[in-house]
Amino acid sequence: MMESRLLRVNLTTGEMRAETLPHALFERWVGGSGINNWLMWEHFLEHDIHCDPRSPDNVFVFGVGPLAGTGSGSGVKGRITFKSPSYGIFGDSAAGGKFPYMVRFAGFDHIVVTGRAPRPVYLYICDGNAVLCDASHLWGRSTGETHALLQQELGDYPSHTHTLTIGVSGENLVGMAGVISDASRIHARGGGGCVMGSKNLKAIAVQGSGGIKVHNPQGMLKWSADFRRRIDANEAIYGFKRRGTLGAVEMYQHIGSHFWRNNQGCLFRGDEVRSDNWVRKYHKYSEVCSADCFIACDGRYKLDGSESPKAAKYAGESFRRPEYLTTASAAGALDVRDWAEVAHWGKLTNEYGMDNQDLSCSISFLMELKEKDLISDRDVAELFGRSQRLEWGNMEDIEACIHDMATRSNLFAELFNDGPYWGALRYSQRKGQNFMKYATYGKGGASFTEEMRPFPTWMNNMAVASRGADHLKGIGLIEKFQRRDLSKRYFNGRTEAADLTIPDLKGASTALIENQVALINSYGVCLFHWMLDPAGFAPEEYYQPAFTEVTGIARTPEELMRDGERICNLEKAFNSRLGLRREHDTICERWMYEPTTEGMYPGSVAANMFEPVLDEYYEWRGWDRTTGLQRRDRMEALGLGDVADVLAAEGALARE
Amino acid sequence: MIRIHTQYQSRFREITGIPGETFELEQPLVSELAWKIAGKYGDRMESLLIDRETNELNERGTMYVDSKGRRVYMEDRLTDGETIAFLIGIAGG
Repeated sequence: MMESRLLRVNLTTGEMRAETLPHALFERWVGGSGINNWLMWEHFLEHDIHCDPRSPDNVFVFGVGPLAGTGSGSGVKGRITFKSPSYGIFGDSAAGGKFPYMVRFAGFDHIVVTGRAPRPVYLYICDGNAVLCDASHLWGRSTGETHALLQQELGDYPSHTHTLTIGVSGENLVGMAGVISDASRIHARGGGGCVMGSKNLKAIAVQGSGGIKVHNPQGMLKWSADFRRRIDANEAIYGFKRRGTLGAVEMYQHIGSHFWRNNQGCLFRGDEVRSDNWVRKYHKYSEVCSADCFIACDGRYKLDGSESPKAAKYAGESFRRPEYLTTASAAGALDVRDWAEVAHWGKLTNEYGMDNQDLSCSISFLMELKEKDLISDRDVAELFGRSQRLEWGNMEDIEACIHDMATRSNLFAELFNDGPYWGALRYSQRKGQNFMKYATYGKGGASFTEEMRPFPTWMNNMAVASRGADHLKGIGLIEKFQRRDLSKRYFNGRTEAADLTIPDLKGASTALIENQVALINSYGVCLFHWMLDPAGFAPEEYYQPAFTEVTGIARTPEELMRDGERICNLEKAFNSRLGLRREHDTICERWMYEPTTEGMYPGSVAANMFEPVLDEYYEWRGWDRTTGLQRRDRMEALGLGDVADVLAAEGALARE
Repeated sequence: MIRIHTQYQSRFREITGIPGETFELEQPLVSELAWKIAGKYGDRMESLLIDRETNELNERGTMYVDSKGRRVYMEDRLTDGETIAFLIGIAGG
């Protein structure tokens, strides 16, 4: 039997309650994000789902999956789940590090936070006990300072202190505020930091000395040894250990998959930032993200000032190595051409606790308007409350924008704090002009800083992802890497899913990978362990024994895939309750109609394949093609009859 | 006899120590190119490049594309002067 505990915290009343999660919940939702989703679903059966996400009626759920911290070696991801304040739809976000497994060592797998504290607090959990503590001394502090103060305050007994914190942006209810794990890893997407801020919850700090109960430890260790062998034998992973996701920089530069200057182009400019210099000059220390990760791709830089023309300004600065999307948002969206500045961008956005994609796309939207003389110096002064050049790659300008947004100190921040879509819409309305063709976004108005127009599965993914445009819900690897082997495996020997030039099997691929990613996220392990493919890509097969050894739940790969589909359908149902239909599964004008002009796939636009791919996606999902709504028969086949009843009562289920 | 240019990135470049080179092939086939590269650079390159179970090009975590951005396979024919890039397939972050 899977044993797991949930901590419920009502910040309005201060009441806290520990519960045992029933084994049946794991049978139905696997764990991790699956159970998070269900906990949020239950919350919004009793609270108004149409509530303002910044109100006490919203919920903040933290959870970690059953494989996390068990010695599986597959990395650990914690997940936060909430109604998104920036996009107004389902919201969730993952981050790795040590905090997630320490929550388990402290006695809980999931935490549900409701209400709003009368004054700033932090939640302290230690070996099964929880207490709310005054956080007035932490309010106004950066995420790094908050983490350090909590470590100092709580000490190293019974374990090191690990934290989840918000920065100034979360306190100021900035829609794009994220949540920072151990001062370095961000739950970036959807505005989880804004939700914590709205609850006056500055941080969660944990210490734990407990273990994790595993159903069959010997079986788990056997699986883990095999996984280790596969990772150690994989040369591609050997390279990934030092580069991490920055390994994508060169590949994307080769094929033309970067997002440059608000996606007017798809290649980085500047020899420094498009090279492999990161590894040669900047990578100073390798770090273990989680004690339970056999890859350990994390790294740290420390600038001595000699690395690049701009590095001297930041001499002595040290922080976590930028991820690819941190780099894409600075070197790509904003055309910052110096690695030292890119690294500094990553550090600053982490210190303030903000999603750097939504931020960079908001700034780059305005930079493009300025570049095209669609707004004047006077307009810029009105937006920022000062004269500002607002020019590409100008780090002084950009740094000022970061500060403005975090402190919500001017019109720019007021208009754009929910990301580029809402910002562009509000600004267009204010100026009486339509600037929307320059805004880059997908579903829910979420941004994404990679070139996607040549890749129909990615485009579809950006239109349908439950948490708003994002790759990590259904990353289109079969297509982008043209994996004919996987296409054959999953689609009865057919190879079309790996062919970029045709729409066939792209909707099907989206659905397939969404289900697989939902499984990975519910196991609570790192997506890169799957993406790098040491074990044959299929999480429903390779991880199946590990899941069983840990939980005691017997599952076939087919059943696990159905579990993944069930999890995706609950996220969909949440959005359907909020009124989302087919017309909301869409992307911005630039991606839809404006052809790429460079890279290996010039002339690409999404419109060529968008509708047939979306039709196919609904078909494979068993959803209604006209409305995009779920059908009762498919819901019942997935064991979601109760969810279908809720949808039917609210007119959010497809008609028979 | 045809001449094929190669470009190596990240892990491929670390193993070869060079950004690219030119090979002369008797048969205009990707398979000849792949085995020549593997033979020249040894076990680590062979492990990265070729799936030893199937003797096909390894598709896991790697990507090899021609000048039009199409992935190439062992049985594909090459034309004189073509450039093949050897990349590591990582996305997102």
